[in-house]
Amino acid sequence: MRHRLLAVPLAAAVLVTSACSAQETSTTGGSTAKAGYVATVDDSLPAGGTLDVELPIDIGAATGLDPQLADVASSWQLMSLVYETLVTVGPDFAVQPALAASWENPSPTKYVFRLRDDVFFSNGRAMTADDVVGSLQRLLASQSVWRGQLGPVKSVTKVDDKTVDVELTTAYTPFLAALANVPAAVLPMKEINEKSVDVTKTMLGTGPFKVDSHRQDVSWAFGKNDKYWSDGEPRLDGVNVTIATEEAARVASLQSGKASVATLGNVDSKSMLAGASGVEVLSQATTDFYYLMLNTQVSGSKFADPRVRKAINIALDREQISSVALGGQGKPTGVTPTGLPGACDPAGLPSATAGAEEAKKLLAEAGATNLTFTLSIFSTAPAPAVAQVIQQNLEQVGITVKIEQMDEASWAGKVYGAVPATFDAALSWFAGYADAGMVTKWWNPDVAVFNKGFMKSDPALSSAIDKAVVLPAGDARTAALAEVCTKVDEDAQMLPLVTRPSTVAYRTDAASVGLYATEGYGNALRLIADFRKKSA
Amino acid sequence: MKDWLTRAGMVCLGLIVLVALASVVNLAGDPDEIVGPRLAPPGPGYWLGTDNLGRSMLPRIMEGIATTLLLSSVAVLVTAALSAVLGIVAGYRGGVVNELIMRLVEVLYSFPAIVLAILVAAVFGPGQLAALASIVLVTIPLMTRLVRAAAVGVAQRDYVTAAIISGARLPRILGRHLLPNVAGTIAVQVTYALSVGIAVEGGLSFLGFGVQPPQASLGVLIQQGTTYMTAAPWMITGPGVVFVVAVLAINVVGDGLRDRFEPRQARSLV
Repeated sequence: MRHRLLAVPLAAAVLVTSACSAQETSTTGGSTAKAGYVATVDDSLPAGGTLDVELPIDIGAATGLDPQLADVASSWQLMSLVYETLVTVGPDFAVQPALAASWENPSPTKYVFRLRDDVFFSNGRAMTADDVVGSLQRLLASQSVWRGQLGPVKSVTKVDDKTVDVELTTAYTPFLAALANVPAAVLPMKEINEKSVDVTKTMLGTGPFKVDSHRQDVSWAFGKNDKYWSDGEPRLDGVNVTIATEEAARVASLQSGKASVATLGNVDSKSMLAGASGVEVLSQATTDFYYLMLNTQVSGSKFADPRVRKAINIALDREQISSVALGGQGKPTGVTPTGLPGACDPAGLPSATAGAEEAKKLLAEAGATNLTFTLSIFSTAPAPAVAQVIQQNLEQVGITVKIEQMDEASWAGKVYGAVPATFDAALSWFAGYADAGMVTKWWNPDVAVFNKGFMKSDPALSSAIDKAVVLPAGDARTAALAEVCTKVDEDAQMLPLVTRPSTVAYRTDAASVGLYATEGYGNALRLIADFRKKSA
Repeated sequence: MKDWLTRAGMVCLGLIVLVALASVVNLAGDPDEIVGPRLAPPGPGYWLGTDNLGRSMLPRIMEGIATTLLLSSVAVLVTAALSAVLGIVAGYRGGVVNELIMRLVEVLYSFPAIVLAILVAAVFGPGQLAALASIVLVTIPLMTRLVRAAAVGVAQRDYVTAAIISGARLPRILGRHLLPNVAGTIAVQVTYALSVGIAVEGGLSFLGFGVQPPQASLGVLIQQGTTYMTAAPWMITGPGVVFVVAVLAINVVGDGLRDRFEPRQARSLV
């Protein structure tokens, strides 16, 4: 899926990122956070009030409000205020109950979900097993990119009013993790079938909030869902979201008190706001990672020769990208996100063990010694910094990179808008999810689809991905994922670079927030149902 | 205008031009090279500190000066050429030609400079071409109006009438009799336009529509410096000071030129 894609996974497990480190408690903003969190909500604060939040990007306008078609993390984040899934992810990516109170896995190919009682859509109608079955069937029949993540679903069946069975054709390890993302949310199927609700134009879900108003790329007003199933939640009466594309505007809003919470892109936000009174900056480790796209499908592609792609891959200094462009807050990664169980070691990949001389030799053999290309990027920080370090890296082997910077919408149109795509190279990031195998599926264009315009499928790589993803956690899966990493490294049409840090800032005099230490779906507002507003 | 002030302005301007020339040969190093730790304060190896990517600020400021000065100079030369032609033709011919040219100029004049620049950037896309076109369109109205005003006066002089009576052709009249006599006005306006050009480039690049990173311009550097104003004040101090000095120096030199070409007596209302 397109940049900032989705994610999630499996049961489990414990992410081993920096965030994970948090077996001990940490202190932020004067409060003590639990293990697995970088901030926890002050439960002693009263409920009520409306929180002002500022975000850099709105949901993807191209796919509208239908959560099943949402293909960017900015959409999932905002839609998660309204829509919910059968399961969700907790600290360290452990799969937890959500609309399903529990589930069983009687065989590797069968899941039985027991639905929670007293779940209502915000229009007051109770959620039923028919909504669950209908939603999943609608997703499987749709053009959603998320179909590729759900795996080999054979059937979705209502057993009784509170039980739903899902049969798979073969075992599929990331199934629960895939169910935990917004595209797999439970929709109001009765209203959809009756055509009384058009989910492409409005949102109606079981989540803690409902939409009061929305102006694309400007603002949202969310009101409380009074029928929300979780006792006492949401704590807030409402959330006002302002879309402020400029980082400086969000910082100014925080400092002035116009915003109580904001997500920031500048990796230096913490030090820059260190002197700002009443502003706390939280850094969250993620499994999301930046990647470089080399367009092999455009006529006369400069990257059609695999030796050129390999040379570029060798020349990229991921350690420098991490330390310089991301201020040391990212980590080099292969296609399996660094920090997830079973992920490969990027330092052991072929491109990491070769040197600049090898890259120059490959370029000479390919007749590309004076290679020049344009790198298309969006202007949201820290992408421009990443691009400039890439430019410096490639200059070391004689490659000239021209950076073309544009707004998010223009960038998306250029990269995903045509087949074949017309750009030379582009930079973006994928959500890394919570299972090391999930994001690898985007390296098969037949599954991902969104990248068919600039990438051709490699049957051997696709086969290796299919084999690795379904294996149960263990040595065999780790070995299979390592093979995928190596093949992706050699294929080099989409080059994994470094993990992406996430930064959330809030006013300590206006809000009490909770934030997991790790995140894989680009959702900094995951715990917003529990956020508190502080009275002035 | 005091002569010493004009001289000081010329010295500053000369130094700025020298720095710009020095940057062409990377005298202080490669402006894009990562040479040290991120956001390092001034010290050995990077005398003006480093930026958020660990690049030395000194060569980046030098490149910024060169980029801004070159862009502004080229744009102002284009403006001068176009304004000279339009202003002289309008002033000499009058009538419908004058009306057409001046109304067109007034349309351009009606747009606030930065709005016009953003409009141009939207058409051409962000980059140097947009910055150059913006400076031309922002500076051309005023210069054209002033050249026209000067040309109207010159066109009524006896030597122009004599040239007409003697059968001189239009290009000769414009080129030999009008242009030299409005050259002083053009020269003065070129300096003012240069300072406006620097300001427009700075504004446009500050907003992200002008010069694109990693290439440095004063606007780009000030924009980046603004972000890090509290954490790394050296990032904005250097380019900010240079920006102010450059604009001041050019204006002071412009005032000096004005005094030379348009003495007070000639500008007196009485």
